[in-house]
Amino acid sequence: MKTLSNEIIADIKKDFVYRKLKNNERVDGRKFDEFRSIEIIPGIIPRAEGSAMVKLGDTEVVVGIKMQPGEPFPDTPDKGVIITNAELVPLASPTFEPGPPDENSIELARVVDRGIRESGAIDLEKLCITEGENVWIIFIDIHALDDDGNLLDASSLAAIAALMNTTIPSEKFGYGDDEILPVRNIPVSVTSLVLDEAILVDPSSDEEKLTPNRVTITSDSDDNLVSMQKSGAFLLSEEKLYELVDLSVEKARGIREMLRDV
Amino acid sequence: MKETISPERKIVLPGDLVSTNPRNAGSGTYIENGKVYAKIFGLLDEKSNRVIPLKGKYIPEVGNLIIGIIEDVQSNGWVVDINSPYEAFLPVSEYPKAITGKQPKEIMDTGDVIAAKVVNIDPMMRVYLSMKDRSARILHRGRLIEILHTRVPRVIGRKGSMVSLLKKELGVKIIVGQNGRIWVDGPETMINFATDCIQIIEKEAHTDGLTERITSHIKKLKRGV
Amino acid sequence: MEENQKFIVNGKRIDGRKIDELRPIKIEAGVLKRSDGSCYLEMGNNKIIAAVYGPRALHPRHLQDPNKAVIRYRYNMAPFSVEERKRPGPDRRSVEISKVSREAFEPVVIKELFPRSSIDIFIEVLQADAGTRVAGLNAASVALADAGVPMKGMVTAVAVGKVDDHIVLDLFKDEDNYGQADIPIAMFIRDGKIEGITLLQMDGQITKDELKEAIKLAKKGCLEIYRLQKEALFKRCRGEDFVE
Repeated sequence: MKTLSNEIIADIKKDFVYRKLKNNERVDGRKFDEFRSIEIIPGIIPRAEGSAMVKLGDTEVVVGIKMQPGEPFPDTPDKGVIITNAELVPLASPTFEPGPPDENSIELARVVDRGIRESGAIDLEKLCITEGENVWIIFIDIHALDDDGNLLDASSLAAIAALMNTTIPSEKFGYGDDEILPVRNIPVSVTSLVLDEAILVDPSSDEEKLTPNRVTITSDSDDNLVSMQKSGAFLLSEEKLYELVDLSVEKARGIREMLRDV
Repeated sequence: MKETISPERKIVLPGDLVSTNPRNAGSGTYIENGKVYAKIFGLLDEKSNRVIPLKGKYIPEVGNLIIGIIEDVQSNGWVVDINSPYEAFLPVSEYPKAITGKQPKEIMDTGDVIAAKVVNIDPMMRVYLSMKDRSARILHRGRLIEILHTRVPRVIGRKGSMVSLLKKELGVKIIVGQNGRIWVDGPETMINFATDCIQIIEKEAHTDGLTERITSHIKKLKRGV
Repeated sequence: MEENQKFIVNGKRIDGRKIDELRPIKIEAGVLKRSDGSCYLEMGNNKIIAAVYGPRALHPRHLQDPNKAVIRYRYNMAPFSVEERKRPGPDRRSVEISKVSREAFEPVVIKELFPRSSIDIFIEVLQADAGTRVAGLNAASVALADAGVPMKGMVTAVAVGKVDDHIVLDLFKDEDNYGQADIPIAMFIRDGKIEGITLLQMDGQITKDELKEAIKLAKKGCLEIYRLQKEALFKRCRGEDFVE
């Protein structure tokens, strides 16, 4: 009986969120193109080589960076390796189940990974220790703590923030003195919900319940597009795509400034 | 022998425009923004604006006579496989006679073949059957043939002409289920002939002059006896 | 292949194509007996088989949707399809591809006609040469039509990319590996016209203007592929099933 009444409450809420939107209002009073408040706390896990916690409204994500030497990929013998993983642990949402990563957490990790990789934020050639034998492997582990919507942007923000305070643990592995991991570029992802004609930047969980339809666009420090991902079951028009591109690049600029100031 | 698809039938893909008049929407089409589009790959019958499917699953409709196979027996009726994504249910109350004092299992058991009418379908596609119909029966003997359900109209023929032809010329009993199952009973040789003819009809369903060809085929078969 | 080798010389690509030219494509509908619909497709050196089962009963029951069919899509690469043997079974890449590919069909398949059922789409990549996900979508679309599954139109897909600062159509392996951007795109085509984007991914580095150019090229490519999909289905219709 409990689940049933919860579902009914959810339906009433959904209807309320939708009616507000029809009235050009978001439930939390934000403008359609407005992010929730963003808080970036770097270095929250001192045991990790780099870390950051990001609070995007009530959404909370911790990203920890661990680094260790290992074998390079055979096709890139002189480059370091980035491995990005996301765990949507059951503590973060009633809809997350324990167990191996599902398609949503895999998609999230891969979209975050592409933003960092394609922007060239990390110079992988600098992470080569001995060509063909030994390179630094960067593990980016995304840990969701509270999913109140738009985990993706919170995660990519936490990931780049964590990389920006990462120390290469050379001493621990006998490769000389520890060094700061150089970060050359700051990719920022912007996710928008696409609902009928409306575009809702940084959707909250209440808004995400209305539709799974969204587009994530990641741009780099030079306003280049470095990653895009359409997700959900809908037809996207060309015009809407360009509108999303402009919006995402503009929003990313503001967030990038925040990251620089941290 | 080379046969051609009837020239008035154009091949259409899903999404092809069928008509700009939404009142002219036949089966196999959908309407959006006042236009009628094909929703399946098939042949367009330009007279009726319907798309005749080449393949596809049998989806029951109320009023269809179907041939089903009992899949499971429950205390209140029978679960019937109707050659569809959906199974059907035949409640004991829709069996022609009262079955007082007997278990449903004693009347019909798993594997039994029946002809029955689709009488109700709810929005969740739960399908209900009835045997309280003149054409409904338990099919004890005979042979069951399965063809693509989309070819059933050609086996029946215009106003039942094809099935009448087979019955008359071969002296067999035939029940054609809308779900693509056909039951034939009679002397073994004649069942074989009927099976042969039905297979030809299925294969050449979209060609012209089918009745003439079947007539001459039957003559040929009989001469061989 | 050197990383700084030129990909485009005098307007021609390494494999001799122009920048807006597709690789040779071969499509055959109805190639498998057991499935309800199927398609074999070659796109350059990609060799893909698609099979569709359904709508069919979906078990266990908790997976059912009381109002519509559930689409399931499995993109799978054969271990021998790539240079280095791929470990069999789903990896993270194929899980993501399966998700976005399924979503590409969600707005196109008329699911409401088949409550509680499933429509299962299986893609097997037998040989891979860049653009396997879009080749898979093209094959799946033909297999769905062949199975008689109701759809609002067809899905047609192509990858566009950036190499040597040029936006080019339908990347092959080297261009994909060493290029500057890869953009797989699927379009919804109705009555021969493009009506929307149904899959879009991108990785690399492009500007908004380059994106516009890429979409323009993708539209051109998709319309050409659509004609080939149509041809394959016409051939299927006129094939042995109907002509003695």
